[in-house]
Amino acid sequence: MSVAARYPAEFDNYVHEEQVIGKEKWIIDLGRSNRLLFTQLFGAMFKEFTVLEEGSDARDLTIDALIEPSIDAFEFSVPNQSQTDEFAVWIRYRIKIFDSAGVQVANWPIAAYGKSQSSTFGGDEALRRAAVLAMRDAAALIIMQMDKSTGISKLRSTNTQSNSALPTVIPDDENIQTTAAEEIPDDSG
Amino acid sequence: MIPDDYPKQGCKILLRAIVTVLTGAMLSACVTSRLEHIKEAKTGILEGEAIVIMAKSYHLGNETEEKFIQCVGDSIGRGRGGLRVIPNQEFVDALFPWFEPRTAPADTKGLPALMSRPGVAEIIKEKGVRYLIWLDGDTDKTGGGGSMSCAIGPGGGGCFGFAWWQNESAYEATVWDLDGLETAGTVSADVSGTSFLPAIIIPVPLIARTRSKACKGLADQLKLFIVADEEI
Repeated sequence: MSVAARYPAEFDNYVHEEQVIGKEKWIIDLGRSNRLLFTQLFGAMFKEFTVLEEGSDARDLTIDALIEPSIDAFEFSVPNQSQTDEFAVWIRYRIKIFDSAGVQVANWPIAAYGKSQSSTFGGDEALRRAAVLAMRDAAALIIMQMDKSTGISKLRSTNTQSNSALPTVIPDDENIQTTAAEEIPDDSG
Repeated sequence: MIPDDYPKQGCKILLRAIVTVLTGAMLSACVTSRLEHIKEAKTGILEGEAIVIMAKSYHLGNETEEKFIQCVGDSIGRGRGGLRVIPNQEFVDALFPWFEPRTAPADTKGLPALMSRPGVAEIIKEKGVRYLIWLDGDTDKTGGGGSMSCAIGPGGGGCFGFAWWQNESAYEATVWDLDGLETAGTVSADVSGTSFLPAIIIPVPLIARTRSKACKGLADQLKLFIVADEEI
């Protein structure tokens, strides 16, 4: 199966800045790490995978599907807020999939979660570790549920069916853990 | 005859006595330990076989500290009869995405299906992993009290008062045998202790190190549990 990914500019340069009330300001730059993660991930999932660079047109490529990831929301909590010694990170990704004609066939939100103890890594390092865990969580979900949630394998064209396939065996999701802690906290009051 | 440096010697002796008493007291802050194990299957480990120590998923509400996992791993791997311990991050990375907090099997029922996934059994065999140990539990402050006040002025500073707090370290290790794809048993450590902080000018902490005691106890017990081929 031949797949390309297009990273929107806001995804590529995603920086989250937040001033925790009365405390320090945090700046989290996810852009490069996200690009690296998704490129590596899709590169391992699909036999033929290319990244569509800025200015390129997907119509110029012979592909079965185009994947466009984005970040809907990024939130984190520090020990002072959660009254624990933990940093927690929630990232809500969205994956849009287009077929070879450019028609959107799937719009899949992914809620990823990671947490890390401050006593182990110190403030900066603990938050970084929690973000890495959230990104790994998203990657695990994508590997395990992408086909089921988006039906991407159905977009495989007849000429690539014989020699290309998703190399990863797409598993069922019966053992996937979810908890209330994964839900992005609602600050609306 | 009284030597000239008598007052100096007297001070030194008094200082030594204070240091000895304080050191003794620091080492002997009250700690109570209970270690137990339940064996469900025969154990034993061959040369070249290894173990991996993991924390149960935080998606299941577990809060075992990274430090504690590191401590148990180091203790099991150290000394005479130390076992080969594979760092858990290395294991989790090699088997991505199967041992992430969200995807790791919650019990041994999921092991046969997991082992049938492409590459999983091969990587486990290649690394020689025989036992997977899942740690659950944490250290909590269960109580405390007292008061202390400190002041500083041009002539110096000091503290006065008395504070105490109680910690409880309760951990359980579940041992999975990856050869038989079954639970070999569980080992638990329950350590509680009271720390004191009396202060007359200088605060003197008498710390009950419950977590390090639980780590050492659990590691020693796990070593015995895995190596000893006792009757079930």
